[in-house]
Formats: sequence, structure tokens, C-alpha cells
Amino acid sequence: MKLLKLWRTFKEGLRNFYRNGLLTIATVSVLAMSLYVVGFISTRGVMTNLLLQETEKKINISVYFNPEVSENKILEVKDTLDGYQEIKSIEYVSRNRALEEFLAGNQDSVIRQALDEIGGNPLLASLVITANDTGQYDIINEAIEKAEFRDQISRINYQKNKEIIGKLGDTLRAERKEGFVAGIIFIVIAILITFNAIRLTMYSHKQEFEIMRLVGASNMYVRMPFVFEGIFYGIAAAAVSMILLLITAKYSSLSVLFITGDVWGFYVKYWWAILGILLLFGILLGIVGGFVAIRRHLKA
Amino acid sequence: MIKFEKVSKIFPGDFIALEDIDLFIGKGEFVSIVGQSGSGKTTLLKLIYAEEQPEKGRIYFNKRPLDGIKKKHLPFFRRNIGTVFQDFKLLPQKTVFENVAYALEVEGESNNEIGEKVPKILDIVGLSDKMEKHPNQLSGGEQQRASLARALIHRPLVLIADEPTGNLDPISTWELVQLLLKVNELGTTVLLATHNKDIVDKLGKRVIALDKGRVIHDHKKGKYVI
Repeated sequence: MKLLKLWRTFKEGLRNFYRNGLLTIATVSVLAMSLYVVGFISTRGVMTNLLLQETEKKINISVYFNPEVSENKILEVKDTLDGYQEIKSIEYVSRNRALEEFLAGNQDSVIRQALDEIGGNPLLASLVITANDTGQYDIINEAIEKAEFRDQISRINYQKNKEIIGKLGDTLRAERKEGFVAGIIFIVIAILITFNAIRLTMYSHKQEFEIMRLVGASNMYVRMPFVFEGIFYGIAAAAVSMILLLITAKYSSLSVLFITGDVWGFYVKYWWAILGILLLFGILLGIVGGFVAIRRHLKA
Repeated sequence: MIKFEKVSKIFPGDFIALEDIDLFIGKGEFVSIVGQSGSGKTTLLKLIYAEEQPEKGRIYFNKRPLDGIKKKHLPFFRRNIGTVFQDFKLLPQKTVFENVAYALEVEGESNNEIGEKVPKILDIVGLSDKMEKHPNQLSGGEQQRASLARALIHRPLVLIADEPTGNLDPISTWELVQLLLKVNELGTTVLLATHNKDIVDKLGKRVIALDKGRVIHDHKKGKYVI
């Protein structure tokens, strides 16, 4: 019997959904706009995070050794540095490999000609050091500066990159923080607007609640169709907002707000996760909104 | 069947809707409740179907005190009582059939049973040919008969009709009264709140008159007196 009642309330909710016409369109539109804002801010946040992680991965210290320092000596230094707990990895780049990489990256014939004229390999061997955490580069840099092998080092490129890396990191971190705060504010506003829209929809059913109770319907039986109606609003709104997000990513100039270029690629890769979150959020808003909105009309 | 024991209903702002009501309505009675607007007729009826609770006194339904019914059991209690109102209170988005069927659906009756019972009751109230119409496609009299069909589908012990003829023309009014009498003959207790002097006088049944929340007349074969 319970299943039969559940099925009936489901059908009732579906019927309300398509019979309400304009009211359904209005509620779905508001909910879809809320989800769109939430989706936009969330994906922007996720992409900023990814970008920050990518940038952090690219940060390293290159220690260049004087030309006369032998490979064995450099590898000895490498072994010493391997003992530092702040260091995640050290890669040895020999003079030959440095030259190969340089040539691979510079096909320009003028540069090749210049190298020929110089004769030999002007590049230095180096150790490329990656830290466990970006905040630890200062410590590593300081340790190398004070190390006994300091006089064998030609230069450390950390100082040079430090400022650029620091600025980029600061910008992204600030972006992440601001995005988070703005996101929370927008999400709260979206929830309030959606709640209000659902409340108005439920208010239009106010007299029906009274009638239903008078013919002996339990509060749960009265409530369930509206909970299902909320679920349908959520599903429809999630679909609409997903389409809007895809359109934004593909065509709109708004995508420049996403900092990084390949928003479309991001959506194509994670569309199922984004849709899942939108559905979850939409359904949750629909259910909770419906539940709370009709509670006040259901005095026993 | 229904017993009021020193019942008072006071609304916020110290408005006394009913005061010190002692009343007994037996099984199978047909009782007209009369009185001016604001005399307490509707409040008296609402107390019976537990839409309102009294501030003082006790009400019994089949010897059971209503204040003892838990909130979650109220829907089950209300299935003992059919209600008909001046404004019909039909669900506008449902057809006549769906409106009547709804009262059975909430009980969890099977679709087969609903398919059997609803056409029968609609036949009794003369709406067999209007089953698929929506309320806004019916006349006032037809809407009230649909509402009556819904009230009766449970086979209630008591039928409460609060100004059911208020929006009806004279012919529809008498058709409805005839139906109420028929229902009463089949054993259902009928409580009819009305302003219609003609109906009350012609019925020749028990009349309870209210004034300012008090019972001023209660006659077995009464006339409309206020």
C-alpha cells in the first residue's frame, strides 16, 4: 500500500509539474539561473585551483655549476641534497643535455650559427630541484647559499624567478580566496531566491492543502507530490543550466573570465561530474524548498 | 455519537466564538444549525472535524474524546466525516472523477476499487455524464454534487454541510437537500449549517440555533428561529 501511495504521489507531482505551465517555467528559470551561477563559480574555482597546482609544479630551483666542476662532483652534491627533507626531487642536467634541449627548443638558424661561432658548448650543467612545498624554496635556497660547495656554483636561478613565481602564486591565491567568498555570497543569494520562488509556487497551492487534509490525506501524502514536484524542478533546472554553461564555455566572451583558455575542453572532460553536481544541488534545493515551504500550510 | 461538554472556543484577541456549549447529537440524526453570521456555526462544525480545538471543555466522537487523538492520527479520524462547503472546495486541476477518487487514493484503495466505487457514487448524485469535466466546466449545483459525492465516498458516519446551498439557485438547492435527506435515510448523521429559512422549515427536523456563541434554541422538530 505504501508503494502504491508513493507511486500516486509521484504521478501527482509529475502532473503538477506539467499542469502548472507558466508557474513551472518561472520556477525552473529561477532555479536554473541559480544553478548556472553556482556552476559558473564552481568551475571557475576548480580551474583556478588546477592552474595554481600546475604553476606550482613548474616552480623549481636550477643550480648551475661552474664549467670546470666534474660530473662526479655534481652528483656528489646531488647526493648531499637528496638528504634534505624539504626536497622532493633533484634532476641532473648535464651540459650536453642542456645543449640538446636548447637546440630542440630553438630551431632558429641565427642562434645555431652563433653557437657554431662560439665553438663548443657554452651551457652549464645544472641540478633542477623541486621542493615538497612552494613555501620551502627559500629554505632550500638559503641552505645552498651557505653550503660548502657554494664556490663551485656559477649561479642559482631562484632569485631571478622568485619574483615572477611569487606574483603569479599570490594572484592565483587571491583569486582563489576571492572566488570562494564571492561564490559563497552568490550561492546564498541563489538559494534564497530559489526558496522564495518555490515558496510562491507552494502558496498558489495553499487552498489545495486544506482540501486534501479535509478529505483525510495525511500530511505526508499532501507533502510528497510537492517534494516530487521540487525534484522535477531540480532536474529541469539542472538540464537548462548545464546547456547554458556549455553555451557560455563554447561561444560567450564570458569565458575570458575563466583565466585560462580551454574551458570547453574542461567541460567536455568533466561534463558528467558538473551535471551530477548541478542535479544534486538542484534536487536538494527543490526538495528542501518544497518541504519547508509547505510545512507552514500543514497544521494538523 | 457527538457530544459537547462545556465547550468554549476563544480566538486570539479574546474573541469568544463559542461559550459553554453542551450538546448531544445522536446517530442517524438530521440536525440543522442556524444563526446569524458570526454566531459560531462554522466554528462548531470545525470543532467536530478537529480543524479547531476548544480552549475549554471536551468533545466526544463515538464516546472517544477528540483531544486524545494524536496529530498523526487525525487524517484517519477525518475519514469518518464527510464535509461539504459553500465554496465546494474541489481541486481545480482535477476532473470530477479525480476529485472523488482522491478521497479514496489517500486511503490507499486499489485502482480497481476506485474504478468501481467512484462511478457508482457519481451516478447517485447525477454526475455520471460529467466525470471527465473539470470543476470550472460545471454549474454551481453540479460542483456541489461533486463535492457531496467526494464527501460520501468514504461512507462517513457523519456528513457536515456548511452553508452548502449558499451559492446555488433554488432548484439546485432543493436537489441537494433531497440528496442530503437520502444520505440521512441510509443512516448517516447529517449536520447542516444554513441561513436558508425555507429549507429548515420544510425539513421539520431538529434545529439548533446559535447566537453569540451560545445555544439559544434546540428543538426536536424545529423551525428557523434566530
